[in-house]
Amino acid sequence: MSIYWIARNTFLEAVRQRFFNFLLILGLLMTALSLALSGFDFGGNELKFVADFGFGGLFLFGSILAVVMTVQLFFAEIDNRTAITLLAKPVSRFEFVVGKFAGIALLLAVFVALMALLLGIVLALRQPVLAAIAEQRGSLAPYFSLSGLALFAVLQWIRLLIVAAMTFFFTSFAQTYLYAVVVSFCGLLIAQLQYVLQDVAAGDKTGTFAKIAAGTIAQCVPNLQLFNLGPQLTLDAAGVPAGTVLAAAGYGCVWAGILIFLAFAFFRSREM
Amino acid sequence: MIPAVEISHLVKDFRIGMRGVKLRAVDDLSLTVGEGEIFGFLGPNGSGKSTTLKIVLGLFKPTAGTCRIFGRECRMAIARSDVGFLPEAPYFYGYLSGRELLRFYARVAGVAKSDLEAAVERALATTGMTAAADRRVRTYSKGMLQRIGVAQAIVHNPRLVVLDEPTAGIDPVGSAAIGDCILKMKEEGKTVIVCSHLLGQIENICDRVAIMNRGKLLVAGTLDEILTQPGKMQVSVGGIEHFSDADKAALEDFLRSRGATLDGLSRPRISLERYFIDRFSKQ
Repeated sequence: MSIYWIARNTFLEAVRQRFFNFLLILGLLMTALSLALSGFDFGGNELKFVADFGFGGLFLFGSILAVVMTVQLFFAEIDNRTAITLLAKPVSRFEFVVGKFAGIALLLAVFVALMALLLGIVLALRQPVLAAIAEQRGSLAPYFSLSGLALFAVLQWIRLLIVAAMTFFFTSFAQTYLYAVVVSFCGLLIAQLQYVLQDVAAGDKTGTFAKIAAGTIAQCVPNLQLFNLGPQLTLDAAGVPAGTVLAAAGYGCVWAGILIFLAFAFFRSREM
Repeated sequence: MIPAVEISHLVKDFRIGMRGVKLRAVDDLSLTVGEGEIFGFLGPNGSGKSTTLKIVLGLFKPTAGTCRIFGRECRMAIARSDVGFLPEAPYFYGYLSGRELLRFYARVAGVAKSDLEAAVERALATTGMTAAADRRVRTYSKGMLQRIGVAQAIVHNPRLVVLDEPTAGIDPVGSAAIGDCILKMKEEGKTVIVCSHLLGQIENICDRVAIMNRGKLLVAGTLDEILTQPGKMQVSVGGIEHFSDADKAALEDFLRSRGATLDGLSRPRISLERYFIDRFSKQ
């Protein structure tokens, strides 16, 4: 039960902060702005342009939110010593970590849902117009799948959960706010470029040491590129096999679980 | 009867700096706090009081020794279900109102929904915070923060309340109000451990005290056991407007005849703190 109340309080704290509202408005504005750019006539690619704009905004602002708000809501609790008051109650450290993570997960869910909703409205409004233009020109009408977008939103939420869990992990032993933010963003960057490390590890022209180092690091960080299924899910009539989507979702949940467990292991022995 | 707190041969070492130099904060401390008493925990800064309290509350892991709360190992979360804690210089969620804050802590501490509002109102009334309960915590003065801190410590009606410097940095009127809260808790049968530098207040409210220095327990006992000066007696006399030198000589002769000496003679006066409280608490 404590987990529910800690999660609820974490979510409430987040939504009452200006930073969340600022990022949300910025993200929504960016998606809405893509409509205004339709005046430039991108032809058949306009829908893809709008979708890419929305996907980019979703991941960019979502990642900033996942890192900054996690540090703000988790590290600040330790730094301001509100965690002491809470942990002096019959609350275990596991409940504390899981409750905080659940609150942030809920926050990210709201963010992703609102961003995806607006993007869905924009795409749904433009698709018939562009389809009519394409028909006049005799070209192929652009395809848009609302259910595909919903599926993509769920995958993006899982991707952001990994980012938040990674931030939890770094924050669990961080001594300063700045350290937690900087290291978490570095972790995000490495996870985003994990495929490059895999390429280096598999490359023929790479030295043995570089191969081992790249391969080891690649094994230690999640591959966030696996979640880049937006265009296929949303704009491709062929879609994506269910197995691929489920595999990506499972991969994300496992990574988030591992990182949260590690965060708990470090936080458990932390003295406040 | 199971003691409220039972500390046995407690040791806590910290590793300091890059080389991990050992610093012993608590050194072989053994102590028992009985149920229903107000226990003062005293000592200079760095004497190990707060470290001991944090071990009691499961926030620090002891290097050696054991600590039990009502017979339960203090590291277990369930042992803290009967404990309320006010940390030193408390900081609370500023975006919540006082009432929301208490609701949150009450639910986290396991207060049932049906008992929630009554528990919150009782804690607010005990600490005199009812009037400010709907204001955001970030607008509270330091004294109000301390009082809402006491309220969150007692909202789940714990049997043991631990207060770390509850009156630090607040004026004598606010300090007296917290003193009254502590006495009210004792009337309700709660055990209260108070860690404070304000020795005058401790002296007025505590049944027993323990004094620590450099991690070691110097002395523990009732105030009478520790402070009474053997072979001395203090007499306060009423109805005397003028006390001449002849009266003083006669008193000295009387005492000499009983084998005693007159150590001092003065008109009693109230403390400045008492005067301040009497003067301002009426306004």
